[in-house]
Amino acid sequence: MRKVFKIYRPFTHAGVLIAAQYRANFFFFILGDILRCFINYFLWHAVFTSGGEKTFAGFSETDMVVYIFISFLTSVIAYSDGSYAVGEEIRDGNIAMRMIKPIRFDLAFLFQELGERLITVTLIFAPMMLGVEIYKFVVTGVIGFNIVNFILYLFSLILAYLITFYFNVCYGYSAFILKNLWGANFLKDCIVGFLSGGVIPLAFLPPVVAVTLNLLPFASQTYIPVMMYVGMFDVPTIIYSFALQIFWLIFFIILQQIIWNACVKRMSVQGG
Amino acid sequence: MKMLRKIHRMFKLHRIFIKQDLKKLMEYKIDFLTGAIGMLLTQAINIFFLSVIFARIPNLEGYSFEQIIFIYGFALLPKSIDHLFFDNLWAIGHFIIRKGDFDKYLTRPVSTLFAVTVEKFQVDAFGELVVGIMLLGYSVPKIAVSINFVNVILFVVAIFFATFIYTGVKLITSAIAFWTKRSGNITYMFYMINDFAKYPTTIYNRVVRTVITYIVPFAFTAFFPASYFITGGNVWYNIGGTVVMAVVLMAVGIFVWNKGVSAYESAGS
Repeated sequence: MRKVFKIYRPFTHAGVLIAAQYRANFFFFILGDILRCFINYFLWHAVFTSGGEKTFAGFSETDMVVYIFISFLTSVIAYSDGSYAVGEEIRDGNIAMRMIKPIRFDLAFLFQELGERLITVTLIFAPMMLGVEIYKFVVTGVIGFNIVNFILYLFSLILAYLITFYFNVCYGYSAFILKNLWGANFLKDCIVGFLSGGVIPLAFLPPVVAVTLNLLPFASQTYIPVMMYVGMFDVPTIIYSFALQIFWLIFFIILQQIIWNACVKRMSVQGG
Repeated sequence: MKMLRKIHRMFKLHRIFIKQDLKKLMEYKIDFLTGAIGMLLTQAINIFFLSVIFARIPNLEGYSFEQIIFIYGFALLPKSIDHLFFDNLWAIGHFIIRKGDFDKYLTRPVSTLFAVTVEKFQVDAFGELVVGIMLLGYSVPKIAVSINFVNVILFVVAIFFATFIYTGVKLITSAIAFWTKRSGNITYMFYMINDFAKYPTTIYNRVVRTVITYIVPFAFTAFFPASYFITGGNVWYNIGGTVVMAVVLMAVGIFVWNKGVSAYESAGS
């Protein structure tokens, strides 16, 4: 394990440098994206005022607001550039250079991205968490911060990131065949965003659909960690959800390895 | 006469550029198709989201589902038309100026702004345009919009000027790059405010309402003009406001742009 860290640390360092270069850029983009959370906040506020009921599908207004902001935070942190970066390397042929080096392709990417993530996380994690907790305090009058939920959330978030990363690497490999361009990635982000509960909590969907979507890997990417934070899972569901996340992580790691082995055999580099 | 000939020439040039872009499109058919499906799907998911909400409440601050859909669909039209014709302004703030590529527009025998905008015909916008038209087609028969000659004219006027509210915001913010080399992220931040326009402004608090009405006036791209068609009231404020805001933003935009072009120093060697 220590050897792995030693080998791949330079990639993390490179990632930090890249992210530091673009941090102002990142900041503005995030500001633009956070606006969407506020739209949802006002929309749900109007929904709760118009509906006259205290809860929807088990969510109170406070729960809903926490869900909106924490699911945004989760999707930003658990976001992975993998599919784009891998596809790009395949298209321009740089992947050939990776193959001749005695390092693992997926780990090199992972450690570089972790470096880039480091800055993202430090820039938005604490302010947003604090904002949500202050909101909860202002609305309910009691400090609602639950350390157990927070720790469960952190663990689930790490798993969510790793699942997202390996899922995206697998998707990126499709560029070996499809030569992915912008459109394919846009379509994927759109579908995953919905299936992972980023648009609306899965609990709002018809029961059959909700149960099915819960099983799919996408729920493990956003929905499960957020629900842990909101504290709407009971103990059996928490254990079950972690098991599900671990299952999907292992599934995608193995799938990634299989595709990689298969692709290396039949690959042709464009202009390589 | 000279003016007419000039306009005629601009349209002719524009057609040639559009033809070029369509050829490029044929080269990347699959990419265009998946992108357009993605755009369609994004909107479909949003509509689904609204229908899930409306399954649980009778109305939203007094607006029915059909009325919300009308405002939403209305919002997509100017947005997609701006996207179709003026998408290249994004590239100005993102990389054209930073890489020194702006030099080439200075050598063209047309105004720089025209040369920049005409260069790209962003066909991805058709996804949103189609959804917008479909949503209007669905909602108009279900709400009491009176379809008469005056309203049709007002509709066209509102869409036309609302488009230039989008273009104006992009123009002002991307022209900042003439001084800072890069302003794509600033454009993005301001542009994203347009999402607020898709819902009745009455759901927001006073700060947000003031910002989207008077500062970055996206409320005039959708909610205000659409509410004229829904209620039939206050045409001067709802449609007139759209016209005034568009003219002001475009005037400021062109002014800043021209200032910027004269301040422009090419990057690199």
